[in-house]
Amino acid sequence: MTISALLSQYGDRYLQALFETWKLTVFSFAGAFLIGILITVMRVSPIKPLRVFGDFYVQIFRNIPGAALLILLVYALPYLKIVFAYRVCVLIATTLIPSAFCSEHLMSGINTISPGQIEAARALGLSFFQMIRRVIIPQALRSTVLPMTNLLVATMLTTSLGSQVPLRPMELTGIVSYINTRSAGGVAAFAISAALYCATALLIGFAGSLIDRKVRILR
Amino acid sequence: MKPLSIRDMLYEEPGPKMRRQIGIYTILAFLLLAALIVAVIRQFVITGQFDSRYWYFFGRATTWRFLGQGLLTTITSALAGSVIAFILGFLLMRGKLRRNKLLRSISTMLIEFTRGVPTLLFIYFFFLVIPQTGIKMSAFWKITLPCAISACGVVAEALRSGVNAVPWGQTEAALSLGLTETRLFYKVVFPQAIRFVIPSLIAELVIVLKDTTFASIVTCADLMQNAKVLISNYDAMLSVYLVVAVIYILINYLLNKLSDRLAFRLRTGTAERNAA
Amino acid sequence: MIQKDTPIIELKNVNKFFGNLHVLKDISLQVHKGEVVVIIGPSGSGKSTLCRTINRLETINSGEILIEGVQIPEEGKELAALRSQIGMVFQSFNLFAHMSILDNMTLAPVDVLKMKRKDARAEAMRLLERVGVADQANKVPSQLSGGQQQRAAIARALAMHPKAMLFDEPTSALDPEMIGEVLNVMTELAAEGMTMLIVTHEMNFARRVANRVILMDGGCIVEESEPDTFFSDPQTDRAKLFLNSLNK
Repeated sequence: MTISALLSQYGDRYLQALFETWKLTVFSFAGAFLIGILITVMRVSPIKPLRVFGDFYVQIFRNIPGAALLILLVYALPYLKIVFAYRVCVLIATTLIPSAFCSEHLMSGINTISPGQIEAARALGLSFFQMIRRVIIPQALRSTVLPMTNLLVATMLTTSLGSQVPLRPMELTGIVSYINTRSAGGVAAFAISAALYCATALLIGFAGSLIDRKVRILR
Repeated sequence: MKPLSIRDMLYEEPGPKMRRQIGIYTILAFLLLAALIVAVIRQFVITGQFDSRYWYFFGRATTWRFLGQGLLTTITSALAGSVIAFILGFLLMRGKLRRNKLLRSISTMLIEFTRGVPTLLFIYFFFLVIPQTGIKMSAFWKITLPCAISACGVVAEALRSGVNAVPWGQTEAALSLGLTETRLFYKVVFPQAIRFVIPSLIAELVIVLKDTTFASIVTCADLMQNAKVLISNYDAMLSVYLVVAVIYILINYLLNKLSDRLAFRLRTGTAERNAA
Repeated sequence: MIQKDTPIIELKNVNKFFGNLHVLKDISLQVHKGEVVVIIGPSGSGKSTLCRTINRLETINSGEILIEGVQIPEEGKELAALRSQIGMVFQSFNLFAHMSILDNMTLAPVDVLKMKRKDARAEAMRLLERVGVADQANKVPSQLSGGQQQRAAIARALAMHPKAMLFDEPTSALDPEMIGEVLNVMTELAAEGMTMLIVTHEMNFARRVANRVILMDGGCIVEESEPDTFFSDPQTDRAKLFLNSLNK
């Protein structure tokens, strides 16, 4: 089939799928960011069990393949009498995996700050929270703009896991296998989804480098 | 003096009040985590998932031989995929660093394309479209090739940043000695660049390895696929998937650890040489 | 009411260990109002550590540290309040990398002293003028030379109106041509009556500006005297050896 024939027949579905991918991406990334911050707070805290838990969490979700995690959530957890809807399973997987990477990026962002600045903040009489708010967080966030941009793209790619379970509406990868099993969409069916993914990724990358140039810390 | 890491600098040496608070919270956190573990174990017990019928076959050598075969396929596929990704990535990197405008923009486009499209889409392409074209391809390559293609753009960018990290002065010096640009690249620039990027290449291997877990889509008998066979043989979903997940996590963990260690050695090694 | 002879800074029998290493051995020391005390000594003698214990950037294992006769608090608001009254200048400047020089200056006055932003800015500009970097106020630290950064760091400490100032090798990270400009600012401060404890390797500066020179070695104070006496007629063999090693 040609691209125009596909678009006239499945145009609405592609549009729906694009929004679905975007929605999954945004929700997953927001969740991943919040969890990432929480885990990072645990990992830098002086409370040993929290540190150990934070490190453990990151190693698990940084290293587990998305497919393995999704399968555990969808098929294995019900054996423990824990059942989630398909959409929820996908969202959990596409949130937990990026959250581990988010924490790693935040940790290395914190590590770019010289310890001397912390001592200076203390010597000036700033309280712990003032130091965190005025010195640590602004610098850590500014130096992680590019890694976070890449993480947002990676999160979008991870949402293709949604094609492995029956989702309604489908996201951009699921719709391609759907079209191809019903009518031979051929290369064109892939080209449309690929183009939509790429356009989104380029947009994210562009926005990211724009922000990075604005806030980058000169050293 | 001990080396200062921010992780330890963030909180200063606690006073008596703070020490007491840390002590209390440490105990609380410990109890909370213990409760979490107990709750998980309890859930296993209640649902009978610790029942020996879900676990006894892990005591058999045949089980491990079977899983091992799958793992071997997984590793072979990941390694082959990485080698192909490296070759493709190298070509794309060379293309992107060329003066020829056409070559450069084609390379850039291909890099952005492979980085912006999920591996699954490539896998479905090999699964659904390639057979339509009449090309005969084994299941192994139907999973290995898409994983390789998906990784090559990232590899190209990693290699490029390695090449850019080689000091320009060396290029100038080599050119002034009369080396041709090609010889210069292979003799001087690339051998150094590759050392810079070995950690990120290993990290890329982890990504390829994770991507191969979709092999069951193309019915390639990798670790995940063999796990599914075990499950239908023994009717033991949870235990098998858990064991398999742990295997994946361990392998990737070790690879990442290796990558971190090499990166660390590279950083400190460079620092020492610069200081000398 | 503080008695006239209560020292601003007083250390009584201070001991500190890094693991098994005894880095401060039974140190006792007083710095009175308006005094400039210079600590010199070979590297590893414990002089920087001594300086950093005074606002508890380093903790001590035994002994007492008193500021205006009051023991320094161990934590919390009280410790922060005390630190805000003692200026500190570091070897590596430690300006906040993500803020302009002006924002570096006003951060603590606004957040800690609760000054109005407008007043803090005016005060900051006045101080920057005084140390000669007012024209750099809107740049970020990395755009300034080392000497300019260190002068700005001194101004940042002054903005808190400290009772005393600690200088931890303030010129050790500077290129030779920039050392002078920083020492000039410090000399002016001393002339204005600021109470100062300075760890440094600049012997000429010590001789010119100090009221008292302290030589440390191996975690001990080995000699403590007026600069003229110290440099022309050292009492201990260790001091003679140290001065000789400098003249080579």
